[in-house]
Amino acid sequence: MLIEIKDLTKNYVMGDVEVPALMDINLQIQKNEYLAIMGPSGSGKSTLMNILGCLDTPTTGQYLFNKTDVSSLNDDQLSIMRNKEIGFIFQNFNLLPRLNALQNVELPMIYAGIKSDIRRERALMALDRVGLSERLLHKSSEMSGGQRQRVAIARALVSKPGILLADEPTGALDSKTGEEIMLLFKELHADGNTIILITHEQEIANHANRTIFIKDGRIHSDLQNSIKELHMNDHIPTNIQHTNLPL
Amino acid sequence: MQYEENIRLALHGLIDHKFRSFLTMLGIIFGVASVITMLSIGEGAKRAAIAKYQDLGVNNIIIREKKLSDQELEEVRAKFSQGLSIQDASVIKEIVPGVIRTASQAEISSEAKFSDKSTKSTIIGITPNYVEMLNYKTAKGNFITTDHYKRNLKVCVLGAGVAATLFRNEDPMGKFVKIEDQWMEVVGVLKSKNLFTETVGELAARDLNTDIYVPLTTFLKRFTRENLLSSEIQQITVQVDNSDRLVETSQLINAILQRHHFNNSDYNIVIPFELLRQEEKERQIYNMLLGAIAAISLLVGGIGIMNIMLATVMERTREIGIRRAIGARKSDIMSQFVSEAVAISITGGLIGVFLGISLSFTVSWFTDVETFIRLYSIVIAFGFSVLVGIGFGYLPAKNAANLKPVDSIRYE
Repeated sequence: MLIEIKDLTKNYVMGDVEVPALMDINLQIQKNEYLAIMGPSGSGKSTLMNILGCLDTPTTGQYLFNKTDVSSLNDDQLSIMRNKEIGFIFQNFNLLPRLNALQNVELPMIYAGIKSDIRRERALMALDRVGLSERLLHKSSEMSGGQRQRVAIARALVSKPGILLADEPTGALDSKTGEEIMLLFKELHADGNTIILITHEQEIANHANRTIFIKDGRIHSDLQNSIKELHMNDHIPTNIQHTNLPL
Repeated sequence: MQYEENIRLALHGLIDHKFRSFLTMLGIIFGVASVITMLSIGEGAKRAAIAKYQDLGVNNIIIREKKLSDQELEEVRAKFSQGLSIQDASVIKEIVPGVIRTASQAEISSEAKFSDKSTKSTIIGITPNYVEMLNYKTAKGNFITTDHYKRNLKVCVLGAGVAATLFRNEDPMGKFVKIEDQWMEVVGVLKSKNLFTETVGELAARDLNTDIYVPLTTFLKRFTRENLLSSEIQQITVQVDNSDRLVETSQLINAILQRHHFNNSDYNIVIPFELLRQEEKERQIYNMLLGAIAAISLLVGGIGIMNIMLATVMERTREIGIRRAIGARKSDIMSQFVSEAVAISITGGLIGVFLGISLSFTVSWFTDVETFIRLYSIVIAFGFSVLVGIGFGYLPAKNAANLKPVDSIRYE
């Protein structure tokens, strides 16, 4: 089991009031799963993503990643965790504007202390995997949205992370480019990566094999999808009601 | 994170915002440049002073006849004082402990002539140990010797200025110069000396290059005084073995002279070394003032850097969030921003050093003020610029490191 979350809650302190963002979250994720976390805004899906991505720690409960108790890690250890195990992909790409594509992809390895020739090699491999072999020395301002997202995905892949965590990856892209990116995710899943999509769009969520619905800070449902084709004009979810909710 | 990455990042940060970086470093540039320039001026002054006092002799006490009007002179003579005499000098040598030797000199203002040229000069009759006591080096020939002295020979040693005026390109050696109707053979020419442009204690300013030296015995025999009331000699130079005992010794000398001169104070006692020490003390004050100015200047420069870095951190909140998300630790962010601050201050320091050195040279080139650049001043000024970068970069860097990744990544 790659990820296990037990009885997790997360509260935010606003002034002297404690606002609960997540309550009683229980979740298990295996290696090479492809799952989507869906929910309206304010549902707590972003909070869950932050915790999954080791950007934040739970108030109570446990988050085990590969048997490591993430909730007990200090700031430096969390940073190392993010560096090695989490591959972030953001809606607005979040590339560093003053670095070119290659330098952006190399960045996680710099923080891991990897030597420059090895860094270069791995970065080139990652960029090749996402289908970008040209424009490597271009800055993000010189690239299209689709290219930027590919660079971001290459950056996420480069440390061979435990999970790829994608927050609305197609949100800033047109539908055609969005499809290309989702196709890329499919390939990456086939490569053996574990992918977690955060989205509010059913269409995007349909690409995953499993969908977790979050509402008002709790898991509403946790269903396996049985699809295996994308029906672009067909908005009917073809999930079989196979629930993963603990009893 | 590796050091070279930090350095690369820091330099890029600097280059990306050339104008802004330059404005930020101005405080450092001026601070460093002013420290170096002022220290070099101070050092130049110090060396000039030492050179000046070395000419007078560091371990010397100089007893100088007081310049009195004719009336005052009459009164003093009436009170039995004959003024400074060779006997005063020998008594001092015998009685006062710690005295290595004494030299006496008599002077008149006169003219020296050679063929059709003449020049005003001070003719100084001296005892031969003069050359051991004072820093007079000959460019040609030798100084007055004991032999010259003992045999009252009519010889002279010319100051550099006199030789140049009377002889132009000719060799003065062996030629005869006319002084006060006496023909004196030139046996030596002195090297050019620094001008005394200010008075030293009670020693009047003079151009030593217009002096001519003759043996005191010859002087007393051959030259007559303008004023019959004049003392035998005008100056006694006393060389003491230990510069720590100069003041004590001078007090003893004063006691002796008071007795010999029947309590007439018709002389002055000047201790060049003490005067040098005095000047040195004053220079300390100057140096401290200078230090304060430099410190303030660097402080201002540092505040400028801190200000800019704080703004920079705020500007780059998103970037910091991204770096943290992909695995930068707090310490990585800290070192990134401290490096940027240090890059600014070091560059400012380098420019400041360059500017300071240029200014020092410019000052000494275009004015009379001497400057001397010492390596330690450059090292210290530069070192401080580094410290300022680290010190004032710390707070902004800490702010940057403490930003929460979750929030900063969404910062617009």
